[in-house]
Amino acid sequence: MDIITEAFITPFEYSFMVRALIVSVIVGIMCPAVGAYVVTRGLGFMGDALAHAALPGMALAFMLGLSPFIGIVPSAVAIALLIGYMTMRAGVSEDTSIGILFAGMFALGLVMMTTAGGLPVNIEDVLLGQVLGTSRSDVLITLGLAGGVLFLIWALHKEFVFTSFDPTGASVIGVPTQVLDYTLLVLLALVIVIALQAVGIVLVISMLITPAATAQLLVRNFTQAMLIGAAVGAASAIIGLYLSFHYNLPSGPAMALVATGFFILAAAYTRGFAGAFRKRAA
Amino acid sequence: MNGASTAVQPLAAENVTVKFDDVTILDDVTFSAGPGCLMGVVGPNGAGKSTLFNALVGLVPVNEGRVLIHGRSIDDSRGVVAYVPQYEKINTRMPMKADEVVMMGRTRRIGWFRRPRRQDREAVRNALEQVGMWDRRSSLVSELSGGQRQRVFVARALAQGADVLLLDEAFSGVDIASQESLVGVLHQLRDEGRTILLSSHDIDHVAHYCDECLCINNHVCACGAPRDVLTPEVLEELYGPYGAAPVHGGIPDGHHH
Repeated sequence: MDIITEAFITPFEYSFMVRALIVSVIVGIMCPAVGAYVVTRGLGFMGDALAHAALPGMALAFMLGLSPFIGIVPSAVAIALLIGYMTMRAGVSEDTSIGILFAGMFALGLVMMTTAGGLPVNIEDVLLGQVLGTSRSDVLITLGLAGGVLFLIWALHKEFVFTSFDPTGASVIGVPTQVLDYTLLVLLALVIVIALQAVGIVLVISMLITPAATAQLLVRNFTQAMLIGAAVGAASAIIGLYLSFHYNLPSGPAMALVATGFFILAAAYTRGFAGAFRKRAA
Repeated sequence: MNGASTAVQPLAAENVTVKFDDVTILDDVTFSAGPGCLMGVVGPNGAGKSTLFNALVGLVPVNEGRVLIHGRSIDDSRGVVAYVPQYEKINTRMPMKADEVVMMGRTRRIGWFRRPRRQDREAVRNALEQVGMWDRRSSLVSELSGGQRQRVFVARALAQGADVLLLDEAFSGVDIASQESLVGVLHQLRDEGRTILLSSHDIDHVAHYCDECLCINNHVCACGAPRDVLTPEVLEELYGPYGAAPVHGGIPDGHHH
């Protein structure tokens, strides 16, 4: 059997690898689709905070022996709405209050995870992602959530773009900008929930912003950048999955590293360092 | 509930008072602008120009008084009023082309969950042609000059079908060369019967380009033709004894038609 088949095809004789591939591709596509807004609206810190603040919900579900989604979906959505409320109220120093909230919630989650003995999960996998461990029901839930989020991203595209570009003008025309802002945060929360399986709490931010930022280096068109970001994200996730499988790495760092590599290549290319790179390679 | 006793104006503020906490930003502001009127709003920084604009489009709640658009409340007249924001309020990290921006004006007409149809694309084209920006439709707004950018946002208002236009700091970032073409577009729209309100920190602009001038410094100091309104007394009330520089080149005779 030749080496390429062995490296790329053989892993899928394991059904866990097939499940991991499905989830990875979905994560790779979904993160930049929402990430395009995260990058252009400066929501990176908020996304990072959301991921960390979701830990207690996940821990609670594990402690009760339920699917982690049952705990994490409602808690992430609730936190997204809370953060949205905090940032939309004028006068509150938003990054301070978000910082307090997310650090406190993350600490609570860590304490819950470490004190509750016999949880069916490694804390390292929760923090760094372990896509190889996804179950059949995880895949189905991921597909369902991703389908819903993708539909809304598509259906509300022009409204989200308008509100993100010119909130004042949108509001004057009668576009319900506040409702849309909250909706976007909820979608962000759901994408983070999906992504946690693959990249973990600590590295969600990487998949959320890096492929989207890479795409925005390459094209000066928001909608195209969304699509290219999804392609970059999917490629990062798939390559990361292979690295994770062959080198026994946590999937989060593997995917994040690949995504970062793509970003560096794109930055080098667009800044005109392509020639220098080629020389060095030769 | 009360029938219009006077002719219904496209834009009217009646005893509008806006407070933030205990600070009164706008105090009992009453004025109206008729059809085919280009009105300039002047006043020092902190006089409440932006707050007035925000109140007129319903972005800040009015504590007392009311705003009427063709005799109706703001909520009943969405789409009739268009707002051209200061460019600093735009999220410049979003790369948007001129025609994409103008299409935003069609958002409500297109409706939820729908894509632009042919009539929307035609409206965008007409609007861009009217402001002389059709050739630059594929340019990113971030690559346009200040004046071209303002014309694109005016085109958005036209695509929206608005007949009341508000331009916040209309000439900020607009160099002299492109100022003329922007003013030309505004005069053309006024001649078609639209009502245009623009604010400017530069009183010369208002004196030279506008039919009427609204002077505010938390309250209405004066309102009328620039020639009648921009008197030394009013300028002193607006800017204090040292700020009341004379208008450059004198104030032209009113060209109100």
